[in-house]
Amino acid sequence: MLGDPTGIGPEVAAKVLASGAAADAARIVVVGDRRVLDLGMRDAGTRVPYSVYRRVEDVPWPAPAVPVVDLGNLDPDRLARGEISPEAGRACGDTLRTMIEFALGGRLDGIVFAPLSKAALNRGGYQFPDEHQMFAALTGHAGFFGEMNVIPEFATFRVTSHVSLRRAIDLVTPERIEAALRLADAMLRAMGHNPPRLAVAALNPHGGESGLFGDEEIRIIGPTVERLRAEGIAAVGPLSSDTVFLRARRGEFDGVVMMYHDQGQIATKLLGFHKGVTVTAGLKTVFATPAHGTGFDIVGQGKADPGGLEYALRLAARLAAARAV
Amino acid sequence: MKPRVAITVGDPSGIGPEIAQKAAADERVRAVCEPVLYGPPNAVAFPPGVVSAEAGRAAYESICSAVRDAQAGVVHAIATAPVSKLAFARAGLAWKGHTDLLAHLTGSSCVAMMFWSEPLKVVLASVHVALAEVPRALTRSALDDVVSLAASELPRFGIARPRLALAGLNPHAGEHGLLGSEEEQILRPAVEAACARGIDIAGPFPADTLFVRAARGEFDAVIACYHDQGLIPVKLLAFGQAVNVTLGLPIVRTSVDHGTAFDIAGQGKADPSSMIAATLLAARLAARSRA
Repeated sequence: MLGDPTGIGPEVAAKVLASGAAADAARIVVVGDRRVLDLGMRDAGTRVPYSVYRRVEDVPWPAPAVPVVDLGNLDPDRLARGEISPEAGRACGDTLRTMIEFALGGRLDGIVFAPLSKAALNRGGYQFPDEHQMFAALTGHAGFFGEMNVIPEFATFRVTSHVSLRRAIDLVTPERIEAALRLADAMLRAMGHNPPRLAVAALNPHGGESGLFGDEEIRIIGPTVERLRAEGIAAVGPLSSDTVFLRARRGEFDGVVMMYHDQGQIATKLLGFHKGVTVTAGLKTVFATPAHGTGFDIVGQGKADPGGLEYALRLAARLAAARAV
Repeated sequence: MKPRVAITVGDPSGIGPEIAQKAAADERVRAVCEPVLYGPPNAVAFPPGVVSAEAGRAAYESICSAVRDAQAGVVHAIATAPVSKLAFARAGLAWKGHTDLLAHLTGSSCVAMMFWSEPLKVVLASVHVALAEVPRALTRSALDDVVSLAASELPRFGIARPRLALAGLNPHAGEHGLLGSEEEQILRPAVEAACARGIDIAGPFPADTLFVRAARGEFDAVIACYHDQGLIPVKLLAFGQAVNVTLGLPIVRTSVDHGTAFDIAGQGKADPSSMIAATLLAARLAARSRA
């Protein structure tokens, strides 16, 4: 999926396809409007030979050129670049909905998308707090799922995400911590860590310092971690959150389970903003996207870095392959 | 004349005495100041790695004498090694750490904790409180105080007209009220009022990208809403190099950015780099405030 065409999505997609960078990892099909791919090639200053197919199952493998399933649903010449467009948002949502149908029908093993505009999706009629909740709704998911943020050094998993800090503290429960830990363990196993070394971040400063400021570590987090350790999950914690990410960066952990949004996002954005990948974990279908945004400030200049999208493709391929086993 | 800098050894059962001695002996430190150690005379009475009321009391007394000497002009700044808040509590001392103790000893009504490093400088609007207490602690008057303090104290560090930024409390700085109301109800009005007082401050901004922007040089200092919001980025960008500075005291006081590390105390392997950085900054600030 080529991303929102008002941004750098089509450009980074064209660059990845032109270089053939992730072609060794997956059979890649472009789903969207061929005119958006043409735009991406112009932005990137590159040519990608492609062939248009009506359906994913019509693509012959190995494909002679990049296969494109043309939905014909968005003419990018009608859009202003670098600006939020409800029309583009609607088309992006429609394209993702179609891809999800393909995936649920067994014709796609994973969905990778170049950067979207959340505001455009919202104004285009796809009103969800974040794209993960949109994917959960469109795949008919019930139960725990969550955003996973992957940088080369480690991955983070969330006990709570897009809620106020007050609400997040109320949601730090044994059930949610357990679900996040099990999800982290399963996802990192799929990435080849066996067993994954997990750290659980504390909620309070200095981990509550033995209950002096906050007792969630003693009452909730610690006992939950101990219970799951007894079941064989290689988790440690709660660990003071101002040093847990340093230790993960040094290679001590494969994953960090964080209690609230900014705890992990401050760390991953400082460490690997351009290399990072965001995965929606726990759904029937694998979803992955670069952590960076639509890059409105550099759109059309040909200087967008395709590294995040390439890494997203490789990671999705790996996660999908682990499911197929 | 070189300034005299008091180095308090902190909890004598932690790594404090070891790093304090290493810092006092360091050539870079001796080049810019005359270090003076403050600690209990009978160091052997404190077994390494053990939290005790006695060690808490000894740490407290070293701090008291260093503050007395600083106020009398005998020393010109204080650099402190870590204390154990738990040992303080065991000793029946009500203070949660250095900052509130120093405020009490010097009669200062408005103090704040700042972390100084080359890539990033952060002032904390709340410190050692449970995260659940933070939304209640972030009152308008508390924010007004910490913003004013940052603006008035940073010139001591050579930042004549500091460009400040306030981090949001909630994810995405509340996303226009969708993810929490504190930004619109308390933080933004506090920023607007500070601007009206002539302070160069912007925000509240989403915390996860604000520290990236500040580290690139867009702001001189960030005001963080809670301890870990400020300390996660400081430690990632400058571990072992960050110095804790107390804003709002009549004396110059710096401190290390780490704890007592009871697990490695007495083994000779504690890294003194933060203690050295704290002593060097104390010397620099002392020289500046005496100039």
